Amino acid sequence: MNKEITDALLREFLLGNVDDVIRDQIESLFLTDAQARKRVFTAEQDLIEDYLEDNLTTADKQRFLSRFAQTAAQRRDLRITKSIKEWARREAWEHSFPAKHSVWAGLSSQLRLKPLLFLPITVVVIIAVVLTVVWLRREQALSRHMEVERELARLNAPTTQRDQTAQMASLILSPLTVRSTGQQIEFKPPSDIRILELRLAWIQKEYYPTYQVQVRRVGVDESFTIQNLHADVDVRVVRVRLPANILSRGQYRVQLTGVGPDGSLGPTEEYTFVVAA
Amino acid sequence: MSRDLAISTEALDEILAWLNSDRGIAVNMYVQLRHDLEHLFSLRGCADPEELTDEVLDRVARKVHEVRPTFKGDARHYFHAVAKNVAKEDFKARKRRVSLEDVEPLQPEINETDEEVAEVEECLQQCLQNLSREKKELILAYYAREKQAKIDYRNELAQQLGISVETLRVRVYRMRVQIGECINDCLSDKGRVKMKRIK
Repeated sequence: MNKEITDALLREFLLGNVDDVIRDQIESLFLTDAQARKRVFTAEQDLIEDYLEDNLTTADKQRFLSRFAQTAAQRRDLRITKSIKEWARREAWEHSFPAKHSVWAGLSSQLRLKPLLFLPITVVVIIAVVLTVVWLRREQALSRHMEVERELARLNAPTTQRDQTAQMASLILSPLTVRSTGQQIEFKPPSDIRILELRLAWIQKEYYPTYQVQVRRVGVDESFTIQNLHADVDVRVVRVRLPANILSRGQYRVQLTGVGPDGSLGPTEEYTFVVAA
Repeated sequence: MSRDLAISTEALDEILAWLNSDRGIAVNMYVQLRHDLEHLFSLRGCADPEELTDEVLDRVARKVHEVRPTFKGDARHYFHAVAKNVAKEDFKARKRRVSLEDVEPLQPEINETDEEVAEVEECLQQCLQNLSREKKELILAYYAREKQAKIDYRNELAQQLGISVETLRVRVYRMRVQIGECINDCLSDKGRVKMKRIK
């Protein structure tokens, strides 16, 4: 076949888009030259694939159908190519899908691991995954804890404590030492309340420059500490504000400690209250 | 276009002798020529390529005795020349029909029944089992992708096999023909079984 007869020209010939001279030239070669015949047929297969993949323009699609889907035999031939392509795509997908989703399949094929090595490697991987999950959870908990402590510091800063808000509830708590056993102060947080202010009665004779409060829910290890609190000497209370969203159902234990000028800790009073549902 | 004459034995012998002095080769060439002419009529968008091919072979048979002594070159060029005339006549006839109908009918999309598709799929599975593992893997690799990914992958595949893309296309085309023939045989068998059931 002449060199100037390119695949692109063959494609146009197949779609009937060439002049009579070119068509005669290609047809003549098609009839007499086995190599040329092969080229026409392979170009035809490419065109059939383009049709099946919907890569033809509307006009070319019409030309294609008028030449390659006229007879029952041609239509069957198209169906056969379509079925082969669909089969190949299905097979390729089924082969690639497990490899994409199975770490072991990928590892074994890439590293050519012996089956004996699977068990120790599996154990190591499981331990690594568990440790990672534990570490991530701890990091998340720590981050949340620090966030709450920052919020507590903000709410209990002297300037903020003077602010009054409608979304705040108060509880007056007496130290356990002056309360009869079994008496519990209960708090049912209304939905619109954002802050709970605890007014902790200070019954010691001595006052301290600052106080610190530690809040902990009974049965939970986590506790929050608020420092640099000041006593309201007139009414003998230390106010501490807690964000309502950190309170969940249960009993809370609060420890109030006086802090001396040199940072030494003075006596501690303990208080409790219950958050009800 | 009507054909009243069947090809006489003498005319057929002369055509075969004209195609090649070796009768065995000549018969193969004649069969191939018939197939190719049909294909060319299809490519010209003719409605009945088989009928037109018969017409070409009839006309050549009628003229072979006169033309052969003076014709120079490959005899198939003469068949081609006759085929072009037949195609032109067919084109004129179609044009007349179209102008009478005043509308060029659009080619419909291919309609297939689920049963037809299922039969081809079933035969394909049978035929793939007849292929060697290497051939099956090559067909799978060749047809698994589409559009640009297909072109890129076929280039890669040819490199891996140490052949040109053109050779790869021809190799796969041969396998495709082999599978097609197998499927057609399988479908014919199914058809025969069905006919028996109907009887």
